[in-house]
Amino acid sequence: MKRRLFVASSLSALGLAGCGPVKESLTTGPFRNVLASAENLNRTVIGTRGLAREYKDSDVDRNFRVNGLDTPSDSGYAALVRGGFRDYRLVVDGLVERPQKLALAELRAAGDHTQITRHDCVEGWSAIGKWRGVPLATVLAMAQPKPAARYCVFHCFDVDQSGEFYYESLDLHQAAHPQTVLALDLNDKPLDPDHGAPVRLKIPTQLGYKSAKWVKRIELVADFKTISGGAGGYWEDQGYEWYAGI
Amino acid sequence: MSAGARVYRHGIAARTAHWTWTLAILVLMMSGLQIFNAAPYLDASDKSNPARRVLAFDAAQNAAGGVSGYTVVFGKRIPTTHLLGYTDDGMGAESERAFPAWLTLPGPQDLADGRRWHLFFAWLLFVSWVAYLISAAVRGTLRELVMRPDDFRKLWPMQLYYLRLRKEPPPHGTYNPLQKLTYNVVLFVFFPLLILTGLTLSPGIDAAVPWLTALFGGRQFARLWHFVLMALLLGYFATHLVLVLTTGFWNNMRSMITGWFVLGKHDGAGP
Repeated sequence: MKRRLFVASSLSALGLAGCGPVKESLTTGPFRNVLASAENLNRTVIGTRGLAREYKDSDVDRNFRVNGLDTPSDSGYAALVRGGFRDYRLVVDGLVERPQKLALAELRAAGDHTQITRHDCVEGWSAIGKWRGVPLATVLAMAQPKPAARYCVFHCFDVDQSGEFYYESLDLHQAAHPQTVLALDLNDKPLDPDHGAPVRLKIPTQLGYKSAKWVKRIELVADFKTISGGAGGYWEDQGYEWYAGI
Repeated sequence: MSAGARVYRHGIAARTAHWTWTLAILVLMMSGLQIFNAAPYLDASDKSNPARRVLAFDAAQNAAGGVSGYTVVFGKRIPTTHLLGYTDDGMGAESERAFPAWLTLPGPQDLADGRRWHLFFAWLLFVSWVAYLISAAVRGTLRELVMRPDDFRKLWPMQLYYLRLRKEPPPHGTYNPLQKLTYNVVLFVFFPLLILTGLTLSPGIDAAVPWLTALFGGRQFARLWHFVLMALLLGYFATHLVLVLTTGFWNNMRSMITGWFVLGKHDGAGP
């Protein structure tokens, strides 16, 4: 009995006292790269297969939860809001044959896609929204990516406290998925500033942080390693997976 | 074989699998709680829906001017300060946090790293589970483990023996019928269901295999199942630990490390 007690108590002491420093040291350095290797496996296995489920109008969350930050504090953005986004132009450039500067009316005229899909946040919650806009593939086709282009990088209006701009990136397979869309409307109304007005990305086959809000520029690149932190996105630079299908 | 005889009980595949799973499950539980902390509530629905909330943790100002932590089960608020809801944040203080830092991996709030740990060790669990089943099937040891109709009839006599209401256990092979049932539930129900419910939390999987998500009642419901299965597995783990400790700890440990087990009066019985 005594021996059992001793074993049990030393095991629990190890667990409580010893784990803290061990846990932290294993989370940094080369070991972290081993953990991160699972991402490539997930991406290979899941890929861009299938279509996200489409829901009914009655399933929609009328007060769609705001993911990420609220309205950007950027002064240029504030001016656009005051002007009702009349001066907004979506820039598509980088490795393209025909760089584009698209006003909202031109975007609306380019295509019309509506989807009622579930938004899955990396934190764990889900909400259903009705998104209307133009498929990303349509806009990319207008700009005609050069053969060297492999990724599109979305540059956004919002800036965090340390001055980092929000950005995201997709490869051209993910960009070509029929449900990957540049959304202009949410729940039958033009996007409001909190939800990413006037243009946000919506990609229902990946976690919410990929669906960048307040997109101002889409840059076609061969590689995103030289952009900002080099991991392909604002949250990716902070350790989140670039492939957010899981 | 008589009492005191040494038998080679666990092959190298079973022992490797056992310790791989021990490590994987420990890491998966702790990193899973880290991930859970980012949205500390569970809804029996597809999208998040507070009207169908089964379990939640939160913190609120109390009458004494401090902060109390609460566990909310089907809307009923139970104060659980220090333990759940308002707990150790791993930075030398307490804050609004469902599970305390000493239970999560990493300790302080870090969803990104929690996910890295979780998704890597999920692969480790899956691959080692498949490898073990293939190896056990090829070597024929799977036959000793899988429940047969005869085992179901022996469950009650075995239970009576454990309750000391029966002198002798019913005759059995390497594993007694209760052991077999437990291992079968863990290996063929808990493991696959934990993996499948976990996968359906992923929007990529939901697009690729939509019927799987529907089977569990949607994404949030799958999250609830995933949590419940984790709790059941934890219950199994606690029982397993008690039995390992009370049925000859060193003998059990030796057999799971070196393979060799010293038989007692009625053995094969073990944890």
